[in-house]
Amino acid sequence: MSESCGAVSLSQSQSLPGVAGGSAMDMDPVEFTLRKRLPRKLPRRRNDVYVNMKTDFRAQLARCQKLLDSAGPGPREICIHGLGLAISRAINIALQLQACSQGALQLAANTSTVELVDDLEPEDPDEGETLTRTRNNSAIHIKVFYPQ
Amino acid sequence: MSGAKRRIRDKKMRNQPSSVTYSSAELDTRRDESCWHNGQGQRYEQSPQTRGRGPPPSGSTLGGQHDGWVRGCHGRAPQELPRFITASTFAMARAAEVQSMLKAVAKTTGSCHVFGALPKHMRRRAMSHNVKRLPRRLREGAQRMLEKSRQAGQKDKKDQPKSKSRKARRRHSNLLLEFNRRQRKNVWLETHIWHAKRFHMVKQWGYCLGDRPTYKCYRACHRAMGSSCLLQDLSYYCCLELMGPEGQLLGALSKLASKETGPTFAAAMCLSGRRQGSAVLYRADGYPTEPLGPVLFLWRPRSEGSTDRQLWIWAHPSLKQELLLELQSVCQCSQPVALPTLVTIASSSMEADPVVMPKGSAEEPPAGRKRKKMGRESDQTVPAKKIVGDGTRSPAAPTSWRSDSTGIVIGDLTMELVRYRLIGPLSHGVLADALTPASDCDGPSKTKPSFFWWPEHCKEESNMVLHQQQAHVFQQLRGLHSTAEVPSGCVLGLTVDDPRLTMPNGGKPLARIQRQQGGDGSSAEEAAQRLLMLQGVPEPCCQSSLWDRCVRDSVAHNKISEQELNRMKSELLVPGSRLQPTPLQGRVPILLMQQPGKQTGGEMVSWGVGWDLLLPKGWGMAFWVPLVYQGVRVGGLREALKHSQNKGAPHFPHDYPDCPTGAQFLQEQAAELCEKYKRRPPAKRPNYIKYGCLAPFLCPWQQLCEEWEVIVKEEDPTRTQPDPGAAAQEVTSQARFSVLRNRKVLQQLSAWCRPTSSRGQRLRQPAQLEQLTATSVESLSRAHCSCLVWVRISLLRRGHPVLHAMICAPTPEDLALLGSDPTCCGPLEPRHTDHFKSRVKRCKKGGSSGESAHKLEEGAEPGPAPSLTPGLWPDPLPSVTSHCSRVTLGWATQGDFSLTAGCGEALAFVSLTGLLHTLLQQPPNQRGVVLLRNPASLQYRFAKLTVEV
Repeated sequence: MSESCGAVSLSQSQSLPGVAGGSAMDMDPVEFTLRKRLPRKLPRRRNDVYVNMKTDFRAQLARCQKLLDSAGPGPREICIHGLGLAISRAINIALQLQACSQGALQLAANTSTVELVDDLEPEDPDEGETLTRTRNNSAIHIKVFYPQ
Repeated sequence: MSGAKRRIRDKKMRNQPSSVTYSSAELDTRRDESCWHNGQGQRYEQSPQTRGRGPPPSGSTLGGQHDGWVRGCHGRAPQELPRFITASTFAMARAAEVQSMLKAVAKTTGSCHVFGALPKHMRRRAMSHNVKRLPRRLREGAQRMLEKSRQAGQKDKKDQPKSKSRKARRRHSNLLLEFNRRQRKNVWLETHIWHAKRFHMVKQWGYCLGDRPTYKCYRACHRAMGSSCLLQDLSYYCCLELMGPEGQLLGALSKLASKETGPTFAAAMCLSGRRQGSAVLYRADGYPTEPLGPVLFLWRPRSEGSTDRQLWIWAHPSLKQELLLELQSVCQCSQPVALPTLVTIASSSMEADPVVMPKGSAEEPPAGRKRKKMGRESDQTVPAKKIVGDGTRSPAAPTSWRSDSTGIVIGDLTMELVRYRLIGPLSHGVLADALTPASDCDGPSKTKPSFFWWPEHCKEESNMVLHQQQAHVFQQLRGLHSTAEVPSGCVLGLTVDDPRLTMPNGGKPLARIQRQQGGDGSSAEEAAQRLLMLQGVPEPCCQSSLWDRCVRDSVAHNKISEQELNRMKSELLVPGSRLQPTPLQGRVPILLMQQPGKQTGGEMVSWGVGWDLLLPKGWGMAFWVPLVYQGVRVGGLREALKHSQNKGAPHFPHDYPDCPTGAQFLQEQAAELCEKYKRRPPAKRPNYIKYGCLAPFLCPWQQLCEEWEVIVKEEDPTRTQPDPGAAAQEVTSQARFSVLRNRKVLQQLSAWCRPTSSRGQRLRQPAQLEQLTATSVESLSRAHCSCLVWVRISLLRRGHPVLHAMICAPTPEDLALLGSDPTCCGPLEPRHTDHFKSRVKRCKKGGSSGESAHKLEEGAEPGPAPSLTPGLWPDPLPSVTSHCSRVTLGWATQGDFSLTAGCGEALAFVSLTGLLHTLLQQPPNQRGVVLLRNPASLQYRFAKLTVEV
């Protein structure tokens, strides 16, 4: 989904390139080009919302509201996911939803760590192999639901 | 008489019957001198129609005088009116006129059909078939016409040679002959018949290719590329094989590619055979001015105890001939060789696919064909198949060349391999579901010598270990969520069972794939998957038997026919279950190559990622149908174009104006567009002169580059200092234009094009990048003169760019407008005047101002010059940059509403000099803003220009 993609590409740009994961090596910015891969896609239910920094805030809020209001099978709850920079926005959306419902909604937040993969391509291609590097980024998953 | 008077007279006389004469100026003047009646007599003699009707009716006092239309005002007193008229003579004198008038009235205009006589509003549909739709008075004639045409039709049919009955035509042998005849000029791919039933086919580059599906699927195909899977047959790409010592090969190939443009043949990750590489090739030592075109290449992994390497280069068919010549000259291979004799493998007498076989026989080396004929002496009934070339070479041409000095062998593997491309994040799941790794041989067959390659292959223990490793990696693919999770370009060799043995039964396959993904999660499996994601496929797993010619040939010849397979399937106890045991000949070596998606730019990363599937020839349909049964969409050439457009990658013949094949393609495209334009009447097509569009069909890149050089020189007098270095530059600046592909320079340009306020700028403006200043610009443009830059244009607001839209530099007022008014669309171009329109008219009228009638005839004859098409600029174009109110930077080569970005997007070439010049003058927070105007519009639109590396 485009939401999750966008969130990551932005949040990744915020993370510092020096935080190296799997292969501990120092990257010389002259010799390598950094290419970020997308984070692993996760299975996506109808009530999952991946928040990004590119879409308009109000549009994302309206979308969540609509999902909550729509009478579907099962409990009326949605899950808001935010990664990296988009964490604050995810929190913001959840709090806004709660405020608009006059206290009827409840929130349950979980945090997690997502492993991201970067490719380091050598500027001089004849020299070395492409390296991969893993780094971690934080994510938040907020369950917004009507209590029974 | 003045010109105007003569014109009026001509106009009056235009529709008059021939017997009517009209006094002209000469006659008038003569009449002044001579007798009036005399002049009349002369006129009678001039008109032959009346002469035949007897003597002039001069007997009457009056009839003669008023015969003909004499204008009253000749400067003379008018005649008195007659007192009486004799009716008979009066009528007789006018009989001829009346008759011709009647004739003119009765004559129908236009077609010879009866209903041509009817006014438009009385015509009805299908009148020519149903007489009763006509008014009754016309029916009789129409009936006659209808019968006549029927008879004519029957006669035509009788003349045609009597065709065979349908049964005879559909007989297998006759069908094959017919197929052979039809692909004499344009060769068919193995999936041709499948495509021909579902696609609009085009004949291009010596092949019959599917352009686009006949059903409506433009958006569906786009969705498939972005979220599920789209399948495409790329077998028309030509494969060239190079074999030889590694050092020799690298030495020879290093002349063709430059490291500045990105990875070359020598790139470490490609050389090991773990990655598929791509490069833009140049003529030998021709970088950067003589490009040939882009290729994909793949090295065979090193095998122990051998220094010889094998390399496959995939090129577009229009590029192949030139590339082959260049490779031959570089490797000094000019000796055509007969191929090494094949390992004799007894072939079963099985018939291959009807579509496949003719090509198969065409491709075979002479030795192979002979052997095969011997092998199937039993079925002599099979008609002799015609040899068909492969669309890019004649059948008799050699396919292999050897060099004695370097030891390199070049082989032409066109049509030897089938290449399918799966595009989309679910393509790995489709592959994993459609293919199963080859099952092992049973105990007894292992010991016996076998005719087929797989049992022999199984005897080696190391081969089996490798096969199990490969199968394991392949199984892990199923656990991935997206094809983009494996490293870009990685290669996996595999041997699979005949996919026809198991067909998916029922259900929505793609949905099933989606559900399955990432379901299983044992820790060992996860660790293996993580390794696959991080490191890619391990090096030994990239090996495949597909590289061996003898294995390929054996597999191609021993394919079980469809008929045989169906017979075996019908004997199964449970219909639809898998065929057990697997027939011995049902193992196929394949190669899988990951195709990286969008890699440039920051948005929609890895959009359009996928896998390429390489198969031996003859197995095309056997793999195609199971893949299609997995629920993928199938696309053609149009989808390929859209794929590369959304991916932000140049598409081969369209976006390479500096390559000879690209230039030729653009010429052909221009001719086609022009032809299409001329088919419309001038009033119903855009007048490009009025729109200020100089070259709507073919962009004059050379002229653009030269003009920008001049503009910059004029504005900056310091540049034209008398300096020997500069003088040398002058000479080179006249050289042919080329497209800038130097990655370093492009990276710098990309940074300069970004407005300083954007977020990315902070991160990506490290110290090593130069700032945008006049000196740095000048040094750059001096180093790369006559260069075009490939840029991506995305519209800021409204607008839908089309082919050859102009990219213009905005004026400071435009930029102010953009900043102040958020709703404004953009400035307008004042309408241009069409000076050529009057010239065309003048030509039509000819020398209407001429003195004599003789001259008039002459002037009307030549007409407009052949090059003068109304609405198009005639050939010597004026200055292309300064023709409009905004300075032109370049033109778009592709443009459309992008479904990925949700706005109009275009891919364009702009002049490097012009771009730098424009960027320098723009304020830093509005850098990269340009104007875009379609050829048939006066509206400029604001757009953002980005250089993506």
